[in-house]
Amino acid sequence: MRPQFSIIFFTTLAGMAQGLLLGLILLKIFDAFLPGDFVIQLGLPVAFFLLCLGLFASFFHLGHPEKAWRAVMMWRTSWLSREVIALPLLMTIVMVIYFTTSWMEVPLWLWFVLLLANLFLWLCTAKIYQSIQFIQEWSHPSTLLNFIFLGITSGWILMEILILLSNNLPQKIPFSIFSTLALLFLSLACLLKLWTWKRNKGLKPKSNLASATGIKGNNIRQISMGFMGGSFNTREFFHHQSTYFIQNIRNIVLVCAYLLPFILIVISFFLLPTMMLVLSLCIHYGGLIAERWLFFAEANHPQNLYYQRVA
Amino acid sequence: MKPNKQLALVIDLNVCVGCQACVTSCKEWNTSGSAGPLNDLNAYESSPSGTFFNRVQTYESGVFPNSQTIHFPKSCLHCEEPPCVPVCPTGASYKRKEDGIVLVDYDKCIGCSYCSWACPYGARELDQERQVMTKCTLCVDRIYSTTLPESEKKPACVLACPTSARIFGDVHDKNSEASKAIQERSGYTLMPEWETQPANHYLPRKINEDIHSQGDQR
Repeated sequence: MRPQFSIIFFTTLAGMAQGLLLGLILLKIFDAFLPGDFVIQLGLPVAFFLLCLGLFASFFHLGHPEKAWRAVMMWRTSWLSREVIALPLLMTIVMVIYFTTSWMEVPLWLWFVLLLANLFLWLCTAKIYQSIQFIQEWSHPSTLLNFIFLGITSGWILMEILILLSNNLPQKIPFSIFSTLALLFLSLACLLKLWTWKRNKGLKPKSNLASATGIKGNNIRQISMGFMGGSFNTREFFHHQSTYFIQNIRNIVLVCAYLLPFILIVISFFLLPTMMLVLSLCIHYGGLIAERWLFFAEANHPQNLYYQRVA
Repeated sequence: MKPNKQLALVIDLNVCVGCQACVTSCKEWNTSGSAGPLNDLNAYESSPSGTFFNRVQTYESGVFPNSQTIHFPKSCLHCEEPPCVPVCPTGASYKRKEDGIVLVDYDKCIGCSYCSWACPYGARELDQERQVMTKCTLCVDRIYSTTLPESEKKPACVLACPTSARIFGDVHDKNSEASKAIQERSGYTLMPEWETQPANHYLPRKINEDIHSQGDQR
């Protein structure tokens, strides 16, 4: 598929916001290694801001953004429609909690509602891709897990940075536990990615020219796709890059999304923690963009069987 | 929840000669209608790009001298279980209950392209200028026209085909010409592995061995 930057920015920014929210909720539910002010006054607004950015980016995906409200209509059947509902819902709940604190203690159940809405948005986002059964690279639970793992990782590192910058260091536990967890999340995400690449490599396409055309006989090949110019079919479903380019992106993902951030977080145990974590998040986010780009590029759409030759 | 009636095309690969008349007549009719044009960008430049509902592709099979050239028209198959319909977030993409035609309501379409991702056949094309998803309508504005003579109430591609390779009809009506062709000449569907149950069928090539042997005798 053709990687689309609107969706790449949306999924990575919203994912980071959701990871941050999950971290904040965990801190809140397991009460309070941190002053409550941090979660409310800094954590929630930052998450809200990221979600706004993601929402803004997603509009660029649409041919008719002015009609975007219509996308809430088919929530019964469409995961995309559900996502369009889930995102503003999550943003509303974040705001409700933020404003509730000014006049009362936020009840615990409201945090659980936030947790559910957070998980629901992940489910919707991933299911959009996972539910297309003939894109075999996407049609697997690893799609959902990958979105969640990477969201948690980036959001967690962001939360650490916010904690350090606002000088809200935890009182009952050492801060190094946070970074250790970040390393754990990063490793899990990396293992999943390596496994996914291995799975993709071994996939056998269920469709081929014989099933696509029904032509009997062997050695079926296309002579002409029927036109010499471009069309939506030749643009939308392929990344238009060389294998060499794709291989390089794969290396960039491995180094920037996983390896370098890992090393930098390890260094942050010993010196310049804030700076190392900021650097690690910046590089990790760059890697995330490459990772999401590759997520699209690696997806093989069976319609490409019909568009192989120009003559 | 199958509709009672399912209009569709049955395409005879024995007689399609790849003349592209169905492609141009389709474009001509559908770009001229009230539903809006099928835009072509850079039509007279080095890299033209346009929206079409129907294409004729060419394939080869076998090894010379026992090879075949197959011309293969491809348009929306109006699936009985269209995967493009439930994914549409706005309801712009829908399948008509009364005749099974899969259509797009341009007024509701937001141009998110998700339906095109969900179609394994690449039957949908986003119009670059109008930014709405377009696809074969089976010339719904011809077949229900109140002004055209009865003989012309057929899809433009069917009327244009010089070899009658395209049969139009109700594939749920066992007595229709389309259904009979499917039954008698083992019509098949494309990519049955995804269980979309395309309504459009293809009639397979019947290789006439006699032609070859007669040729040898001469």
